[in-house]
Amino acid sequence: MALDLDAMLVKISERQWALADIDWEAPGAEQISAEQWPGLKAFMADLVWIENVGARGFAAMARMAPTETLADIYRYFHAEEQRHANAELALMKRWGMLDGDDLPEPNVNIRMAIEWLDRYADDMPLSVLGTVIPMLEVALDGALLKFLLDEVHDPVCHQVFEKINADESRHLAVDFQVLEMLGNARLRRLLIESVGKTLTPGLLIGALMYIPLLNRMRNNIVGMGLQEERLYAAMHRFKNVGERSSGTRRVPTYQVLKWHADMVVNRRHPYHLLANSMVWASDRVPARIFGPIPTWFKELTSEPVAVETLPAAVAS
Amino acid sequence: MTRPKAVTPHTTVIIGAGFAGLGTAIRLLQSGIEDFVILERGSRVGGTWRDNTYPGAACDIPSLLYSYSFALNPEWSRGYSGSAEILGYIDHMVERFGLLRFIRFHTTVTAATFDAAAGVWNVETEDGTAYRGRTAVMAAGPLANASLPDIRGIDTFTGVKIHSARWDHSYDFAGKRVAVVGTGASAVQIIPELAGVAAQLTVYQRTPGWVIPRTDYRTPWWTKQLYRRMPTAQRAAREGLFWVHETMALGMVWSTPLTRVIEQIAGAHLRRQVRDPWLRRQLTPDFRAGCKRMLVSNDYYPALQRPNSKLVTWPIATISPDGIRTSDGIERQFDAIVFATGFDITKTGTPFPITGLDGRLLADEWRHGAQAYKSVNVSGYPNLFFTFGPNSGPGHNSALVYMESQIEYIVRATKTIVDRELLMLDVRGHVQHQYNVRMQERLKHTTWNSGCRSWYLTDDGFNGAMYPGFATQYARQMGELRLADYVVTARSGKRSDDTEHVVELPRRRLPAVRTLERTRNARVPHR
Repeated sequence: MALDLDAMLVKISERQWALADIDWEAPGAEQISAEQWPGLKAFMADLVWIENVGARGFAAMARMAPTETLADIYRYFHAEEQRHANAELALMKRWGMLDGDDLPEPNVNIRMAIEWLDRYADDMPLSVLGTVIPMLEVALDGALLKFLLDEVHDPVCHQVFEKINADESRHLAVDFQVLEMLGNARLRRLLIESVGKTLTPGLLIGALMYIPLLNRMRNNIVGMGLQEERLYAAMHRFKNVGERSSGTRRVPTYQVLKWHADMVVNRRHPYHLLANSMVWASDRVPARIFGPIPTWFKELTSEPVAVETLPAAVAS
Repeated sequence: MTRPKAVTPHTTVIIGAGFAGLGTAIRLLQSGIEDFVILERGSRVGGTWRDNTYPGAACDIPSLLYSYSFALNPEWSRGYSGSAEILGYIDHMVERFGLLRFIRFHTTVTAATFDAAAGVWNVETEDGTAYRGRTAVMAAGPLANASLPDIRGIDTFTGVKIHSARWDHSYDFAGKRVAVVGTGASAVQIIPELAGVAAQLTVYQRTPGWVIPRTDYRTPWWTKQLYRRMPTAQRAAREGLFWVHETMALGMVWSTPLTRVIEQIAGAHLRRQVRDPWLRRQLTPDFRAGCKRMLVSNDYYPALQRPNSKLVTWPIATISPDGIRTSDGIERQFDAIVFATGFDITKTGTPFPITGLDGRLLADEWRHGAQAYKSVNVSGYPNLFFTFGPNSGPGHNSALVYMESQIEYIVRATKTIVDRELLMLDVRGHVQHQYNVRMQERLKHTTWNSGCRSWYLTDDGFNGAMYPGFATQYARQMGELRLADYVVTARSGKRSDDTEHVVELPRRRLPAVRTLERTRNARVPHR
């Protein structure tokens, strides 16, 4: 049954939560073992950035939404992804993983994603981000977070991810509804949009950015002990939910992503030769090629109550 | 309900002593009608300008044009005057035309009911006094009511809450942590003022608007001198400004290549004043220029970038006892929150019950959006006139230019009612219907109906606020009072559609109109 987006918007606005709702000093932080700590720190840092990058994706989607309701929903999702990143940063702070107030350093592939999003995302057709984002969310929701909760026994962590998961399930419901809507457009329009608008230099650069980003994440996580089956299951879910709707199946970018996902989860696929060499190559990209970090990064915070810096004259 | 029959009806009861009510009064006086009363709920005149005294309040249309042509003011100190000066101008008009004797202050109207037998509007007020008028003018204004917005948790906030239209001048913002909610026309004027005073200013934006530079200037002494000595020169300057604004309609009322030019001017203004690409993106509108009210400011963008300012574009999740929580999960704490969230605009009702012929209620008829004929009359509500009524709003020119056209129409109709001893002047239902079908058809092609959400539209997307055209077109339609469009009932009881020769029309003063039968399309000439 088609999702009532107006009702969804009301539901989203009613289910808002804040970092201040969580007691970050509650006992349980000690449950993180010394062995876990370094791997978890790297994992959480990646997670924070992925959420932040996802947030920027939703910001772009809000611009291209065909209706005002969907635009409002995406504005919320943009903020909610940011909230997830903030909450994850707060967890990192709780676990002593933040160096003072400094944010964790984004890896080179994240930096590329940021560059790409800033430059091209606002001009992409809805079908591109509208397919990539649910794929990443399914992977995040279905594999990574479940894995995290199996490994980490801090009750605050469970409390946080329970809230994040509730948000993500609403995101997925909307994501797949939008995919179906996109697929119900006339085939001619779908093709024109896919070929004409999608096959742009921006998208090709996007693919070059996306392939090593995903592989780095996947390799890191598998290195931490995540069973590949979990990723398989998540990708399977992406396909399953998508296949349920005849509309979604008609979206060319969905078909491409599905094909790509199949390769990603298959470790023996020759695709990984390419993807892993891209990871290797990206490590050799000199940092100076990147412009200054966009200021939307500065919105990230681990503080439930924002501490604005007062100008010296006023503060004194 | 007791009807105070003993009271001799006034010729006109005007509701509201703002720009529209006072303007109507002046023109009534100038046309020889002195028997009217102005009911004002406040303790002083000025309407919107009395209420909006927030720091930085000023008009967005040059003062030369944002004033009445029948009450020119050579003394404007700036190109765009502030609220105090505008209020001073209004006070000056009241004094110059001796209007105070007509005004009943502290008189809040609670209902208006038409007495068909007497051809009189009974206007009831809060203190029980009833006023009767052969005609009534609703000059209550669309921006008269303002209340705090319906944001979750607003009642829990323990700091100070201030609405831009109900400014608390006793509150000292110096050194305080202040939030401003809203980034519309009032907000862009308040923000630069508060940023200079508050310790910290956080601005909450839902959607950004197009901001064009303001070409403000201090009026040189010699122009004041010139205008004082030669009002014709001031008229010419006003006329020049009028046509500059008329040209803007081409870009702001309809989506044309000029709309793109306006967007480019606004875009260049943004690029010049805002360096950071992300902040620039946050401040870039995603609708066509003109779709929502244009913002005019030179100091809004710089104010947002002061070290003590911050723009927050996350949706507001809730207001908490200490501040505002946004959907990114973060709370910011404040001493005061300023709500520059606009007005409670009645797009689908009336501020008090208005009962017309056969007990019909205007609020019922306007439930899905306000409709009128030429924005001034509504069928079934004879002898009742609206200023700033349905579909009379300009997007590109001075509201007072439109108001003058309405006032001229109202005064002419009132004189017709008086001079011809009419019981009722009631616009025909089908004429009103056809007019509105045409309006809505024309509105489809305007920027306001191009897909953004604004206060011009009802929740259903019906535009009962704006006039789809040039001010010149509006003035032309208001320049003729087509009696054929009305059911005209004489005090003798004859109706214009009963017989061929209905109303005995006196020839004096209105030579163009002889009898209704012969003048089905007769127009009362515009003086």
